[in-house]
Amino acid sequence: MLSSKSNRKSGKRARLAALMTGLLIGSGAFAPAVIAQEPDTLVIARSIGGLNSLDPSRAFCDTCQIYLSSVYESLVTLASDNKSLAPNLAESWEISDDLTQFTFHIKPDAVFSDGSPVEAKDVAWSFQRLLNLKGSPSFLMDGMESVEALDAKTVKVTVSKPNSEFINKVSAPYAAIINSDVAIEAGALADASAATADDAEGWFLETSAGSGPFVLKNYSPESELRLIANANYYGDQPAFDSVVITNIQDSVSQAQALESGAVDIAMQIDADTMASMNSDEVITEIVPSFNFVYIAFSPAATRANGVLTPEVREALTYALDYDGIMDFTVGGNGAKQSAPIPNGFPGTSDLPLRTQDVAKAKQMLADAGYADGFSLIAGYPNDNVYGVDLNLMMQKVQQDLAAVNVSLELQPMTYAVWRDELTGEGLPVTGVYYAPDYFGSGQYVDYFSMIEGTPWASRAGGTQPELVVNATEAELYQKALASSGETSESYYHQLAEEMIGENIIIPLVSPNLVLAFRADIEGVRYSACCNLPLAELSRK
Amino acid sequence: MSVTEQLSNTNPAERSSARGPWPGLRLPKRLAWVRKLPATAVIGSIVILFWLICAMTVTWWGLPDPLAMVARRLQAPSLAHWLGTDALGRDVLARTLHGAASSIPIAVGVVAVSVFIGSTLGALAGYFGGWIDGLVMRSADITLSFPPILLAMTIAAALGPGLTNASIAMVVVWWPIYARLMRAQVLEVREREHVEAAVAGGAGRLRVLIVHIMPLCWTPTLVNATMDFGQVVLLAASLSFIGLGAVPPSPEWGAMISEGATKFYNWWIAFGPGMAILTVVVSCSFIGDGLRDVFDSRES
Amino acid sequence: MLRYLLRRILVIPFLLLGVASVAFLLSQITKGDPLSALIPERMMSNEAVVEAIKTQWGLDRSLPERYVIYMTRLVQGDLGTSFTTRRPVLTDIAERLPATLELVIAAMIFGCSSGFGLGMIAARFKNTAADISARSFALLGSSLPIFWSGLILLYIFSVKLGWVPGTGRLDARSIAPETVTGFFTIDAILAGNMPALLEALGHLVLPAFVLGWSVTGIITRLIRSSMLDALNQDYVRTARAKGAPEHIVLLRHAFRNALIPTLTIMGFTFAYLITGAVLTEAIFSWPGIGSYAVSAARSLDYPAIVGVTLVGAVAFLLANLLTDVAYAFANPRIKIAG
Repeated sequence: MLSSKSNRKSGKRARLAALMTGLLIGSGAFAPAVIAQEPDTLVIARSIGGLNSLDPSRAFCDTCQIYLSSVYESLVTLASDNKSLAPNLAESWEISDDLTQFTFHIKPDAVFSDGSPVEAKDVAWSFQRLLNLKGSPSFLMDGMESVEALDAKTVKVTVSKPNSEFINKVSAPYAAIINSDVAIEAGALADASAATADDAEGWFLETSAGSGPFVLKNYSPESELRLIANANYYGDQPAFDSVVITNIQDSVSQAQALESGAVDIAMQIDADTMASMNSDEVITEIVPSFNFVYIAFSPAATRANGVLTPEVREALTYALDYDGIMDFTVGGNGAKQSAPIPNGFPGTSDLPLRTQDVAKAKQMLADAGYADGFSLIAGYPNDNVYGVDLNLMMQKVQQDLAAVNVSLELQPMTYAVWRDELTGEGLPVTGVYYAPDYFGSGQYVDYFSMIEGTPWASRAGGTQPELVVNATEAELYQKALASSGETSESYYHQLAEEMIGENIIIPLVSPNLVLAFRADIEGVRYSACCNLPLAELSRK
Repeated sequence: MSVTEQLSNTNPAERSSARGPWPGLRLPKRLAWVRKLPATAVIGSIVILFWLICAMTVTWWGLPDPLAMVARRLQAPSLAHWLGTDALGRDVLARTLHGAASSIPIAVGVVAVSVFIGSTLGALAGYFGGWIDGLVMRSADITLSFPPILLAMTIAAALGPGLTNASIAMVVVWWPIYARLMRAQVLEVREREHVEAAVAGGAGRLRVLIVHIMPLCWTPTLVNATMDFGQVVLLAASLSFIGLGAVPPSPEWGAMISEGATKFYNWWIAFGPGMAILTVVVSCSFIGDGLRDVFDSRES
Repeated sequence: MLRYLLRRILVIPFLLLGVASVAFLLSQITKGDPLSALIPERMMSNEAVVEAIKTQWGLDRSLPERYVIYMTRLVQGDLGTSFTTRRPVLTDIAERLPATLELVIAAMIFGCSSGFGLGMIAARFKNTAADISARSFALLGSSLPIFWSGLILLYIFSVKLGWVPGTGRLDARSIAPETVTGFFTIDAILAGNMPALLEALGHLVLPAFVLGWSVTGIITRLIRSSMLDALNQDYVRTARAKGAPEHIVLLRHAFRNALIPTLTIMGFTFAYLITGAVLTEAIFSWPGIGSYAVSAARSLDYPAIVGVTLVGAVAFLLANLLTDVAYAFANPRIKIAG
């Protein structure tokens, strides 16, 4: 028969098409629960590209908080009210009156995942490693003088100066207690040589050595983080046998995966996407978060040309349309924040909010001699975090400032380049984000205040620290650390007011968090320390 | 017949030199090949012409300001705003049309420079051979071995954000293709009789290359270049999509699609620039194919 | 022939060293803080931490020193440790490359087979409706921005119609088959696990289609134009004049000759897609080498950048070599240019 090869080829193609269609339909028919699975697996969708390490003394990222708080345990943790401290590995603790000695009593039945008991020596070893490894979270142990094991289950930590915040630092997931025997065998070190001689980081990527309700099963960078229940857990067994944190980059894809049932919880859905989701099988809740996005002025940046005086900075803050920014970035789903300390943290109640007053802004600029305005470079990382697209935010800021004749030249850059610029010549204006490492206001003072030596004081002040350094803040901070409870809070309140008045760090939005999960999941909540406590989750 | 003679020829049978899609059109003899262009190529040319004109004159079209908020954000297409508004309340249609002023000149620039650099180097390599050939081809090999996206990204990241830097990155990525293309053609053409005749006639080597060889070699390059025009628009859009191309608030098509991807359910934000890119690339392909067809029939 | 092959193969290591050097230097002289992946923003001004990290990662040495150290390790097969994943780059590549290869091979299978078919139809029935539809389909493939069409197709076929599963290589709940090759499809077959095979194929369908569609575009155009080229040549006219049936003319003469330049392009396309499937990998959350490259470039993770560049370079050089050899085999009259 005269079947030309092209006919055969198209016939072959037709068969191929039929095969593919068959596969499509077939895979659809076979899709539900076919291949080997853990009995009950919880799947969480998140962007895990930012995960830097699974070594508790080195890990420092949002996903790391989730991992560390479920696979390891710290001595104390944050209670579900996101404010008070609750026992974790330590069943009780005492703080000396002068706020320099902290004594912890470890739970008698606490054991690690290999069955060995959690002892004071493990606490000592873990804290020393945290300090000596000089990794990212090592600042938590700054000022620690000594940690002694008083007996097998009692440990005392002494700090060099009164520090009411130390107990909060101990609640951070980064201050997790590691099974020292197992880790030492794997090559981990805790003494002064740790920074150069410890090479256990690779080992931690494959094995966990903690006491938490889960253990590490498998980690594939930028792909998935898989945990299974800790068979030797001394507390209540978690509801799920296995938890997988799977990498889905953007909000829309996470929403689609959630709606189709491929994942149970999606952690980074933004407000606009949430508005377009309409499945009955998905519940979305909006809760306030402690994250915030801010812009910062660096008066000493070379390219600022001395323009950013205190009066000019204040004028610029009056030019910003805070409501509009809130609307544009998170569709109104956020809270305003005036000081670089999150709403709800000690010292932030009743702080004055910033308002827009374009006329006043123009007047102040004119008084300072800038009626015709000026131009500034605004460099920032072109990221999309916590639901806020920094590009959109900066464009809105650019629009607002244009109304008072200040033109911003926007320079979005990759994170690495931004880092370089920040420390080099400095950036007159920049926009970036921040999330808490634990519950406590001191960390914000350590980072954002204009006390000499803090990161932002160095950036904003550069080679001319006198432009920004604020001695009052240093005094107030000493007092805050040397007191506790309400006294301490009142000092933080004063500190917050100082920081507002400086107009160096201008928080713009504290985005609300969208908790999005399948209707049959329970126990989903946001935690200031741990992001998402896995052990509390269950399926109906 | 000379051009004037042909034009003044009143005999209808002799007036048109070939029947094509446009029998009624009178054309001078040198442009007679235009008749052979298929309809698609003509449509493509019209579309590209539209975009070129748009790129050059859009600022005078009286459209809403593409950089300013003109209405409520995220509005669906309506009579007031034919393609709706984006996340900052800007008119999407206005931004799409203004985007041509970013994307089109870049594409023209990148293609022109790549073709120029690549063809020159390739011709030299193909004709003179020896160490020139080795040097050019090894450089081309090393450049081509680089994953293009990675190369473009690294250079763009190195030079900083902005379309000019992205263009430089793209030229670095693109020139080897034209070098190879031209070299292959030159290698073939230089064996032809009329070239040997010219060399025997005592013409200088460079003259032989420029006058006798290259005019015959530009066909594949031209076809490739017209199609690459669209591919450059795509690559520029890809770079902007991952944040290394245009600087906001500039309405570059890739950056607009990137924004549209995050607001996926507001489909109109990506629709405008997506369709713009599609029409440009498709038109370029049509023109390229049409040119190809014409050269085909010319050579036969 | 053998001498030629040998010469080509011997050159490859030197070319690779050259590529590695350029990649290394490019990633060192670019703007950007190399510590950005190693030290969080919060700790940037802490001198003790910065010193420690620099020592640990060898960033306290001068550029020439670092280059020499890196190159010496490289020739011994040690690609260094990635700043972002904290694992040996070889491990990362061994894990990520198979994912991309699986995707690219599937895309090439779809793209080339549809490209051949459509290209031949377009050439045979030039300027008819068949030609136009074939070329339109191909055109759309190479003209639609993948990052737009991919999202739309994913939405239509996965979310709305449910015909294909969602993103990723497997359902998140599922456990991958025992790793032998890293190709989930092959590993599933080797383990005799049919459900796993079907699931992996299901996840492969849409990304392979999206990526392959752009290949269809290239191949169709190429086959069409090469065949038209060939169909105009003298020997075809002769064959026709001699009374050869059209399908013989098409296949034995025209297609054969069209195949040669097409093979070259196919080779390069395959090599290009290995690192060029970035956008597809991003949209479908496919943990391949393209997305690894993007995050490496963004964080100036130079061991990873050089590692991926080498992978891309090896792919390109191999493709180059193989297609040149195939070219020479297919048409021995073509002199092999030295």
